[in-house]
Amino acid sequence: MNPVALRLAFVHAAYDRDRHEVLQDVNGELAAGRSLALIGPNGAGKSTLLKAILGLVPVTSGSIEVLGTSPALARGDVAYVPQIDALDASFPVSALDVVLMGRYRRIGWLRRPGRADRAAARDALAEVGLADRAGERFGLLSGGQRQRVLLARALAQQARLLLLDEPFNGVDATSTDAILDVLARVRAAGAAVVLSTHDLSIAHLACDDACLLNRRQVAFGPVPVTLTTDRLRETYGERAVQLVAGSTIVQTD
Amino acid sequence: MLLEPFRQPYLRRALLQVALLGILGGVVGVHIVLRRLAFLTEAVQHAAFPGVALAFATGTSLLGGALVGAGVAVALTLALAARRRVDEDAALAVIIATFVALGVLVVSRRAGYQADLTARLFGRLAFVTVGQVAQTAVLGAVCALALAAVHKELVLLAFDRHGARALGYPVAQLDAVLYAAVALAVVGAVQVVGAVLVLAFLVTPAATARLLTDRIGPMIVIAAGVGALGGWLGLVVATEASVHHDVRLAAGATVVLVLTVLFGLAGVMRGMVLLTRRRVAP
Repeated sequence: MNPVALRLAFVHAAYDRDRHEVLQDVNGELAAGRSLALIGPNGAGKSTLLKAILGLVPVTSGSIEVLGTSPALARGDVAYVPQIDALDASFPVSALDVVLMGRYRRIGWLRRPGRADRAAARDALAEVGLADRAGERFGLLSGGQRQRVLLARALAQQARLLLLDEPFNGVDATSTDAILDVLARVRAAGAAVVLSTHDLSIAHLACDDACLLNRRQVAFGPVPVTLTTDRLRETYGERAVQLVAGSTIVQTD
Repeated sequence: MLLEPFRQPYLRRALLQVALLGILGGVVGVHIVLRRLAFLTEAVQHAAFPGVALAFATGTSLLGGALVGAGVAVALTLALAARRRVDEDAALAVIIATFVALGVLVVSRRAGYQADLTARLFGRLAFVTVGQVAQTAVLGAVCALALAAVHKELVLLAFDRHGARALGYPVAQLDAVLYAAVALAVVGAVQVVGAVLVLAFLVTPAATARLLTDRIGPMIVIAAGVGALGGWLGLVVATEASVHHDVRLAAGATVVLVLTVLFGLAGVMRGMVLLTRRRVAP
């Protein structure tokens, strides 16, 4: 059995001190080399849970253990991939510049990226299939390519836990395939992956485990037994529609 | 004619001063533009106004007064930004209004000195002393060193704030370094272009550079160059007008207008480059 990469024990989380809990009673484990899908409607607390795992949102009760230690102490081994929409497309950086940012903590204060860092960044870009776009301005790339650059940044960080916020939102088929491919290799190499998504088919394709969230945890476990029609209906309400074939779709707004 | 300012010692001082400030404005301005901090810069600039007015009224150091005012503005902004309940734009607007009102109160108490104070508020480049030039050089060196030391971290923070926090960077402390550099640059520029025109001096060269390049390293070099060039040309125009044509032009304001012209030229150049690219592209 692989070691535990992430242990969530009865986690409640809240922004600030006003104690308005946006996340309640999340409970489960993710082993190294496996991937977890966080699934739920907008405002269900998916991003909050990712930030709590990063130690950026306070846990009001329960506990989060990341790679055997506290979220704050594990940060060097955790890579966070933000939503592409969260980044300014007009910002004057190249794709390679962005990937290099994944090396900054390794490089340390007061020093500039060296030849080894550039080589590592180029390797990471090659991993996501964008070796030829290194000099391109980040904002001029397509949404899917930008997402792959951010994934390359996480690879350059050589993290043991990857957290991805909606990595398939606004991403074309080519980039989706490339991202799925890289995530499979990352897991094969022994790293754990947590990603939030609206897309149930992606969860089936990319993830071993799933956590259904709607402010509180609805279910947590292996994808095939967790993403059932009943539980999806419990998570999404009436928007979960059962199809004749037995699969379930969710209408999102 | 372009070398005219080099002949007179007081113009040489002014030239050195304005070139130093141009470089400083360019370097700090790049971060102001990247972080979209123009509004904060304006708050600091207005905060320097009551500081300068008070220092003038009490006969103490103008630089000290401006520093205190700017420092208070930065501290207030950081404190308000830490509370999510207050919208940052609204908070800055309140700060600006408060400091301007304070400045007006101080000025109105000392009615007899308004003419001289006006010169202070709008700058008096022609009367700059060796001591002031040295002050600017020291301020500039401190700012440039501080920004260079945390350059890559500040760029990361401007690009991806959550990412920087996720990597464990002390975001608030890095903000404080940047805000302090902005405050120092504002204070340095206040003496030359006056409290009213500082913003243009700090933002315009960097905005011009942004039009000419998509990379941050060259952007800093170009911004510093544009700042120094604008300072030199502005001084030439002001000198030429007052010495040979008997038209008195305030040097600081002339420099700002020259910077605006350079910004416009850069905009036209960018537009032309984009047009040719579109024509070449299939």
